[in-house]
Amino acid sequence: MNTAGKALLVAGVATAAAVVRRRRRAPAGRRSGQWLVVTVNRAPEDVQSSLPEDLARWRDQVELRIRPATGDKGTELGVKPVGDVARHDLRLALRRAKAVLEAGEVVQPDTAPTHPGPMGRALQLVTNRAGGGGRL
Amino acid sequence: MKALCWEGINDVRVQDVPDPRLVNDQDMILKVRLSTVCGSDLHLLTGHIPFMQAGDVIGHEFMGEVVEVGPGVTRHRPGDRVVVCSFIVCGRCWYCRNELYSLCDNTNTNPAITQHLWGSDPGGIFGYSHAMGGFRGSHAEYVRVPFADHTAIPIPDAVDDMSALFASDSVPTGWMGADLGGVQRGDVVAVWGCGAVGQMAARAAQLLGAERVLVIDRFDYRLRQAESAFGVETINYAETSVGDALLEATGGRGPDVCIEAVGCEAHSTGPQHVYDQVKSKLKLEMDRPIAVREAIYHCRKGGSVFVLGVFTGLVDKFPLGALMNKGLTVRGAQQHGQRYIPMLLDRIASGELVTNHLATHVMPLSEGARGYELFKKKEDDCVRSVFRL
Repeated sequence: MNTAGKALLVAGVATAAAVVRRRRRAPAGRRSGQWLVVTVNRAPEDVQSSLPEDLARWRDQVELRIRPATGDKGTELGVKPVGDVARHDLRLALRRAKAVLEAGEVVQPDTAPTHPGPMGRALQLVTNRAGGGGRL
Repeated sequence: MKALCWEGINDVRVQDVPDPRLVNDQDMILKVRLSTVCGSDLHLLTGHIPFMQAGDVIGHEFMGEVVEVGPGVTRHRPGDRVVVCSFIVCGRCWYCRNELYSLCDNTNTNPAITQHLWGSDPGGIFGYSHAMGGFRGSHAEYVRVPFADHTAIPIPDAVDDMSALFASDSVPTGWMGADLGGVQRGDVVAVWGCGAVGQMAARAAQLLGAERVLVIDRFDYRLRQAESAFGVETINYAETSVGDALLEATGGRGPDVCIEAVGCEAHSTGPQHVYDQVKSKLKLEMDRPIAVREAIYHCRKGGSVFVLGVFTGLVDKFPLGALMNKGLTVRGAQQHGQRYIPMLLDRIASGELVTNHLATHVMPLSEGARGYELFKKKEDDCVRSVFRL
């Protein structure tokens, strides 16, 4: 594998490590008071009236904020944990809610290869958790 | 079904894989008729993009016939002939609504990887690694097309399969470089790279009003093809000083718009080439942005540079001083295909945009490995290998 490959693989492993680390940490509400926010390309009243179940089911454990995005970019949909909920799960819920509100469904990945090999299985550890990771 | 799978570095093989099925309501299943290799696939083959698993189906530039649609698909029905954009798009997020389709918010199923790498995640691509969503590619008998109403575009009757094939990726990518690069009537445009995307960028520049278009490469057969197909001027950088040739062609100003269609594994000659080779050998360099450096250096003051080639990470010796002091506009993107494909199909139908000459090697999928070998090594004057299914 060349240098670029190694660097990208390191980034992938870092992603996985970050996700795992975040999952093992105490609930984010105690770690940070920051909101997790996505911008949804729908009007605030639409978001308010049809909050998808993926997010609605956390309502007792999060503070929810719905407000217009600047520049006519839709609605900022934010959550801040107040109960025992991992940021990984909230990221996943926010992304799924955004997808349902905008596109009507959450696109599913294709079936995994039948023989991924050792490197492929390592990569699967990353991708299995990548939906709830990242910078959101 | 049969599919061409990535099995390891520089190892692709035809394998039996499970048939795709409808997973989401807005999916459809396409019987692939034609699927072509792309220069960006070579980054997967070489391991430059390491987010592949053995058994992944590759390929992202294709067309075919609809065989099954989900209940949420309204614009296509079985029997329709469609070209499928390499980028999967939801059509309804802010980026899609603003025709920045490759930035779709809702189609990358593994957003964390590219968010950490690049700060944000672009949309998903067929057959282009798990960093870009992990979707199966098109070098297969059948492929699942998510968000089919927005990802696939009907092909007019007047456009044959082979011409339509390249409207999947290389034509809209090239067009975007000229369009978002800001080509104006009377401009001189220089294009680095004379593969399918570079040729399409050159033709787009002509159609957008450029007075002179110069294409730069080291393979004479590709330059001859572009000259023959479109009447562009050519520069073989292995034989001619690119800077001298561009200054001569532009009255000493430099090109108004420079389009880079080479990408992260560029070649060159002279000290810069030696420098990049040494850096590569010492494992001190990631992408090789040779053509980008040249485009910025040779662009006229106040001109525009558009980066079409695929890059993956950090680059070395980026000429920020030239960019700033010459007042350049530098822009790049993966293709916003859905923005252009219907218009491009109409132009293909009218005959003003010719694409089928790019298919220099047409073969069955069973010869997929040979197709990539020819393409990678530029053997037998290969511009594109196309698999017929």
